[in-house]
Amino acid sequence: MDELIYTLKQQIIEALNLEDMKPEDIDENATLFGEGLGLDSIDALELIVMMEKNYGIKLQDPTQGKEIFKSVAVMADFIAKNRTK
Amino acid sequence: MMKHSVIITPEHVLVDGNPLMHNEKGSASLTELYRNHIGDYPKFFKMDTLSKLGFIASELLLNAEGNRSFEPREDRAVILFNRHASLQADTAYQATIQDPDNFFPSPAAFVYTLPNIVTGEIAIRNKYFGETSFMVIDDFDEKIIIKNLENAFQDPITKSIIGGWVDCSDEEHFEAKMFLMEKEI
Amino acid sequence: MIVCVAHNIISPLGSNSAENYAAVKSGKSALRKYDGLWGLPEPFVASLLDRNAFTDKRYTIDEQIVIASISKALKQTDIDVKSSKVLFIISTTKGNVFLLDKNENVFPQERIRLGVMAREVTKHFGNPNEPIIVSNACISGVCAQIEAMRYLESGEYDYVVVCGVDVQSSFIVSGFQSFKALSPVECKPFDANRQGLNLGDAAATIIYTKKDKVNDNEWVACRGAIRNDANHISGPSRTGEGSFRALRIALGDLEPEKLAFINAHGTATPYNDEMESIAIERAGLAGVPVNSMKGYYGHTMGAAGVLETIISMQAVDDHNILGTRGFDTLGVTHPLVVSNQNRATEKRTFIKLLSGFGGCNAALLMAKGGLK
Repeated sequence: MDELIYTLKQQIIEALNLEDMKPEDIDENATLFGEGLGLDSIDALELIVMMEKNYGIKLQDPTQGKEIFKSVAVMADFIAKNRTK
Repeated sequence: MMKHSVIITPEHVLVDGNPLMHNEKGSASLTELYRNHIGDYPKFFKMDTLSKLGFIASELLLNAEGNRSFEPREDRAVILFNRHASLQADTAYQATIQDPDNFFPSPAAFVYTLPNIVTGEIAIRNKYFGETSFMVIDDFDEKIIIKNLENAFQDPITKSIIGGWVDCSDEEHFEAKMFLMEKEI
Repeated sequence: MIVCVAHNIISPLGSNSAENYAAVKSGKSALRKYDGLWGLPEPFVASLLDRNAFTDKRYTIDEQIVIASISKALKQTDIDVKSSKVLFIISTTKGNVFLLDKNENVFPQERIRLGVMAREVTKHFGNPNEPIIVSNACISGVCAQIEAMRYLESGEYDYVVVCGVDVQSSFIVSGFQSFKALSPVECKPFDANRQGLNLGDAAATIIYTKKDKVNDNEWVACRGAIRNDANHISGPSRTGEGSFRALRIALGDLEPEKLAFINAHGTATPYNDEMESIAIERAGLAGVPVNSMKGYYGHTMGAAGVLETIISMQAVDDHNILGTRGFDTLGVTHPLVVSNQNRATEKRTFIKLLSGFGGCNAALLMAKGGLK
């Protein structure tokens, strides 16, 4: 799980162009949206694409993202259970 | 009446005619300008090249104007022109859909496939509720641009305009000639 | 006063303004479901022109419908289009963007530049002026009309030909799909069950001139404004900031009771329609009937502001407030007067309202016979 969390942090930084951030800077339990990393609605859509591309997970309903993108840890857990690649 | 001007090319930066020193060339020069003169707006790194260019030029213009305030205002417009519309962003987005076996359309790339997004970025940064417009002409023509901006003062509220030319064909080829213009009273 | 002297619409519902209005009035729509079109993996609903009907190999489809639409509008006038006193303003968001596809090789790559596309059009008509292209996202069609008004007010030109156009492609459809903004069914503007927008092809032309006096039947573009939300590049303002401010200027000192209707953007995305309801209420216009054309045409992007202005002028000519196709139960938090049925009116003014990516919003007040 730790490896997946680290990889996921790298993929988030790359997908969302979080320049000046390193995986170590992201607290996997902190909220991604609002306060935490300050991500917005376009970032959420981009994370949906990232999950499909890297893990073969297709989210049809974007409102599902709200739950899954709570934190990196929650995301990693969801990916571990649902990944197809 | 022209108050301040900024010119940015991959090689040179001029603010009110005075060169602004920097070491990098091309797209790296935009990042360097951001770090040296702005630095507090990480959304910059999400922008396409056109928005980065227009954003930096507007920041340099507003720094030259001085007394920066981020109070909401409606009397300042942002009206920009160019030749290539959003071609750099269009090309980047097309790359995400070109290959049917690797078809992952990117929303973050798609949102920049409209040239007027740069005017929105400037309005958001500065809380400008005024007019924002983007127009395309195939060659830089100062007469057409100035005439158009003078016309824009027909709006009952507009008193000043961040206007001019902001163009890029790809990440390494760009040109901004922007200025701050005030209504003649 | 800035007066409309001719207009035309080319869309899947007809090739002149009258055909288009008659189709809309009778409730027709060109929205269809397409599955597998252009190799797109997901199906979509759109209002598309028959691509096989465009056989002229010299021009792209965009260019062909622009030329056809402008030609038909010009035929209603005796304007000398070769004169330097005539300016062309083209309103488009994506022009010939399909040329970016590596499999497209019929046309030279430079035609992807909007300025080159527009020059093909002015060259066709022998007009000597550099064409201006307004590319201000989904509000382009109203912005182009506001530009025309300003050029005519300043006296530089005698006539301005405004033509809005966009033709759908895999580029545009996949982009809106990635935004989860497309409705899987025909769109439902302002409805409680709206799920997003549909896209559409169209070109629409209005020719404006300046006159000192107008008769009762002439259409006057009175005033317009463009305002930004200063909030987000893709999400509409939660307070309707830009639309409210644009509406306030378009309305000016006109009593809201004089308005036959507000022809809203009404894309049927959850956020857009909600935002418009907030802006309309803030502008004190909650009692004015509101309609949307998206259920007939989809969102025609660069053409929308021109096309929807023309349909609305004809509706007022016909003493009619057009119904909003697809609407059933009001689903915005600020109450609006929306109906799916045509209703009678004797009023002679309306406001065209639009909003778009980049946080931009535009409103335009049109009055038959001018403001008295």
